[in-house]
Amino acid sequence: MDGLIELLLGNTLTRLVFFPTLAALPLLFFRKGADGAVKLYALAVGLVELVLALVYVAPHWTTTTFEATRELAADGGRIPWIPSWGIYFDLGLDGISMPLVVLTALLLPIVIGGSWLGIQRNWKGYAFSMLLLTTGILGALTALDLFVFYVFWELMLIPMYLVIGIWGGERKIYAAVKFFLFTMAGSLLMLVAILWMGWTHQELTGLWSFAYQDLLRLDFPMTQQIWLFGAFALAFAIKVPMVPLHTWLPDAHVEAPTGGSVILAGVLLKLGTYGFLRFALPFFPHAAVAAAPLLVSLAVVGILYGALVAWAQEDMKKLVAYSSVAHLGFVMLGLFAFDLFAWQGSLLQMVNHGLSTGALFLLVGMLYDRRHTKKFDDFGGLAKVVPVFAFFLVFSSLASAGLPALNGFVGEFMILTGSFRAGLIVPTALATFGVVLAAVYLLKMLSRTLWGPVTRTENEGLRDLSLREIGVLVPLCVLMLWIGVAPGPFLEPSLAALEGVHEEVQIRLEQPPPEGETRFLLRLDDSMAFTFPAPSLDEVTR
Amino acid sequence: MNASYLIPSGDLAAAAPELLLCGLGVLILLFDAFWPSLRRAWTPISVAGVVTAAALAWGSAHGESFGGLLETSAFTIAATVIVLLGTALSLLASQAYLEREGILTGEYHALFLWCAAGLVLLVRAQELLTIFLALELLSVCLYALAAFNRRLSVATESALKYFLMGAFVSAFILYGLALLYGQTGSTRLDEVSHALVMGDAGAIGILGMLLLVAGFGFKMSLVPFHAWAPDTYQGAPSPFVAFLSVAPKAAAAMVMIRLLEVAMAGGLGDRWPDLVAFLAVASMLVGNLLALVQRDIKRMLAYSGIAHMGYLMIPLVSLDDTSWTPVLVYLLAYTLMNAGAFVLVSMLYARAGEQHLVSELSGWGYRFPVLGACLAVCMLALGGIPPTFGFIGKYLVFLHAIRHGHLYLAIVGVLASLVGVFYYLRVVYVLYMKEELRAPDGLAIDAWARAAALVAAAATVILGVWPTRILEWLERVSGTL
Repeated sequence: MDGLIELLLGNTLTRLVFFPTLAALPLLFFRKGADGAVKLYALAVGLVELVLALVYVAPHWTTTTFEATRELAADGGRIPWIPSWGIYFDLGLDGISMPLVVLTALLLPIVIGGSWLGIQRNWKGYAFSMLLLTTGILGALTALDLFVFYVFWELMLIPMYLVIGIWGGERKIYAAVKFFLFTMAGSLLMLVAILWMGWTHQELTGLWSFAYQDLLRLDFPMTQQIWLFGAFALAFAIKVPMVPLHTWLPDAHVEAPTGGSVILAGVLLKLGTYGFLRFALPFFPHAAVAAAPLLVSLAVVGILYGALVAWAQEDMKKLVAYSSVAHLGFVMLGLFAFDLFAWQGSLLQMVNHGLSTGALFLLVGMLYDRRHTKKFDDFGGLAKVVPVFAFFLVFSSLASAGLPALNGFVGEFMILTGSFRAGLIVPTALATFGVVLAAVYLLKMLSRTLWGPVTRTENEGLRDLSLREIGVLVPLCVLMLWIGVAPGPFLEPSLAALEGVHEEVQIRLEQPPPEGETRFLLRLDDSMAFTFPAPSLDEVTR
Repeated sequence: MNASYLIPSGDLAAAAPELLLCGLGVLILLFDAFWPSLRRAWTPISVAGVVTAAALAWGSAHGESFGGLLETSAFTIAATVIVLLGTALSLLASQAYLEREGILTGEYHALFLWCAAGLVLLVRAQELLTIFLALELLSVCLYALAAFNRRLSVATESALKYFLMGAFVSAFILYGLALLYGQTGSTRLDEVSHALVMGDAGAIGILGMLLLVAGFGFKMSLVPFHAWAPDTYQGAPSPFVAFLSVAPKAAAAMVMIRLLEVAMAGGLGDRWPDLVAFLAVASMLVGNLLALVQRDIKRMLAYSGIAHMGYLMIPLVSLDDTSWTPVLVYLLAYTLMNAGAFVLVSMLYARAGEQHLVSELSGWGYRFPVLGACLAVCMLALGGIPPTFGFIGKYLVFLHAIRHGHLYLAIVGVLASLVGVFYYLRVVYVLYMKEELRAPDGLAIDAWARAAALVAAAATVILGVWPTRILEWLERVSGTL
């Protein structure tokens, strides 16, 4: 059992990843119906996790490269998991994953706090699912071994499925099963691609490996690249989601309870864009460039289509759900511009979307807790009744719409500038309309719900936000403003890591992909240590 | 005159697990006839016997015994432990069921133990007649056990179907055996293989081998020899199905490997990998697609078991030293999760003679938190979702396909798994996301059965999170490290 304990608690990062799950185990022994105690316990666990994340990450804030954060894992080293197949339980942080890890840790206590009243039965199961989900997300974000990544990627499915299916709305089972099957359909082909890559590594070097930095050295011929990229891209595009694979998202969002929607929009979707940036682009740069026109078109279609459909909604939650499709379209546009500035914008926009959409889902949930409806027609003139609520809704909507001085503007501006600079003139021009449309649909939501006379008598006695609810929203809004006014501290940590990936991709693109056989790239001058005996030259050239 | 005069003591020691199981079965039968009040003790005693047999097998010396009729190697030991694990899990779940149905007698345990003896023998036999004898010892006991709830007409019907088909298949196997013997002049597999490689076997040898493969394909319930499984499972006692659906399949798979080793060694044509690939693909697709439309959980699990045997055949397409790890890991995973699932079915359904509709479990995830969670874990593991051991099994199987150049098998496999996920998830959502339909009444739940379900589910998760040791061991013994 030593090995198992080492696996779970062996080093700083595994402790960070597994703490929520281990802390969830005592929940099993809570009395049935002790919901109050469960809530407090879960909130405490969430706060501890946030503190752990900040304490671990803080020293590496400006130097977040794998090499630097390897120190985080240095007290345990690479933990063998299935060593005979070259699988190590290898976790690491760099500037790309770090912001998302912090965002996840931040959202955990917020989600628990935001579900306080909305979840009315079986808090034990809910808290357990949320904590398990956090482990899955953090693991997927920090995995430096593709096998480990896949395990965590799938691990996220089960708790999310349960959250939607148990605490969801009327069509919860349909939404939950659709969510599960869509995601699974993409990821199974990715599994085949991962196995193929591990096997190719074995063919070329004689050793099994699924390690990220080992697989980065594989230079596949074009046909194989396209197939492998296709398998990865399908899994990630479903998760993002990109039009036309997005249909599970509105269903999942609308049926999920507030907390589920926040986590789904806040971090789960980001795993898709993160996957493109971390795996699909650097692994298969030639195929990514070849596929860029298609993916850029889909991203632009997503921006405009998502915005137009959001405009047509009569339900607040559906509107926010479709706005996610549009926002993630911006991120994808930035990624496939292959421009460093646009990439910075995309990464920032992933965090921004998590903050502003997370806040919007929380606000819709708070309204739903009071009135049990999310339809525009049931509201109107709320600003008079619940001014504090109205303030937060306006603030988050404007951040989401990209008002300057709030976070959304920074991200979208960087993406649009970067992709314009990269020569994607027509797509950028079209995407700019998306910014306008975002203002249109969000202002429509505000005008229909907040402004005007109070049309319904039920709304007259509506309670304004409680201290708990304000406490949940304030951290999000502070960050929105902070990023909007002074984005520097948030962009700086990820610059080095993004530069690294960008350079890597550019270097690979300078050479055509090999003909026929896969090549194993030797990079003896770089700082990455070989994790296996370096192959002799004639092995490399086969 | 002592026994060692006739049989070398080394051989006796090698056969200790089988002797123990048979002897214990006879003793239980005798004591049951004279002291029926001991009946409630048979479950712990027989489980203890099975565990002891597994321990004896674990410690037994490697090598051949009985003049080469039996083989003991790390693989046979691993397979023996796997089949005995399936036996022990289902025996644990049996007592509550038998008491409720009013058929708790020693014969059940005795037949079970003889089945186990047949299984252990089958796993180790490397001579065709021994294989056949072991198979008959196993099968005859299986027929009797399938009909054990004899007052139920469905049980009798399903047992009769199983018996008729099984008897037919035994004839197939015997005929195939005779043809191979006629062609090669030997019944020992190594000599058969040698003779086939040396001289061209022609149509007779191929026909003989085809009959044998078909026969054991029937025992593994591979498509197109699968039709008996759903009907038999539906009518037979559920705890017995937990056994029937794992242990005989595992033993038959071991024989299948031995047969295919001979078939692929040469002299019998070079189309065997295609045939095995066909069996694998057909079983995965037919099993999963038909399971999709089942409303009865036992029939659903029967079709899912057919699909799982399809996955198991993938590593046999390119049979070599690297096939052992995926096969054994998959068998272990399948034994844990499938026996676990049937043990839970036997606990959660009260009326043995009627349909076991999935929807009857509605909302029971809350009424039975522990058992519900165990069933959900077994279902997710059967669906191959990490971090369960079921995923590790599928991973190794697909990796084997890819590294031997059968990419299409891996792709068909993952697509079939996707279909599988759909119906496994149905059980999970019925458990947790539906309103309760009926209050539990007359369920056969006792501590033994609970223990079996917990062991299966916990092992599935723990081995899924931490497969390190077991994979290391298998890699070491198979020499593919």
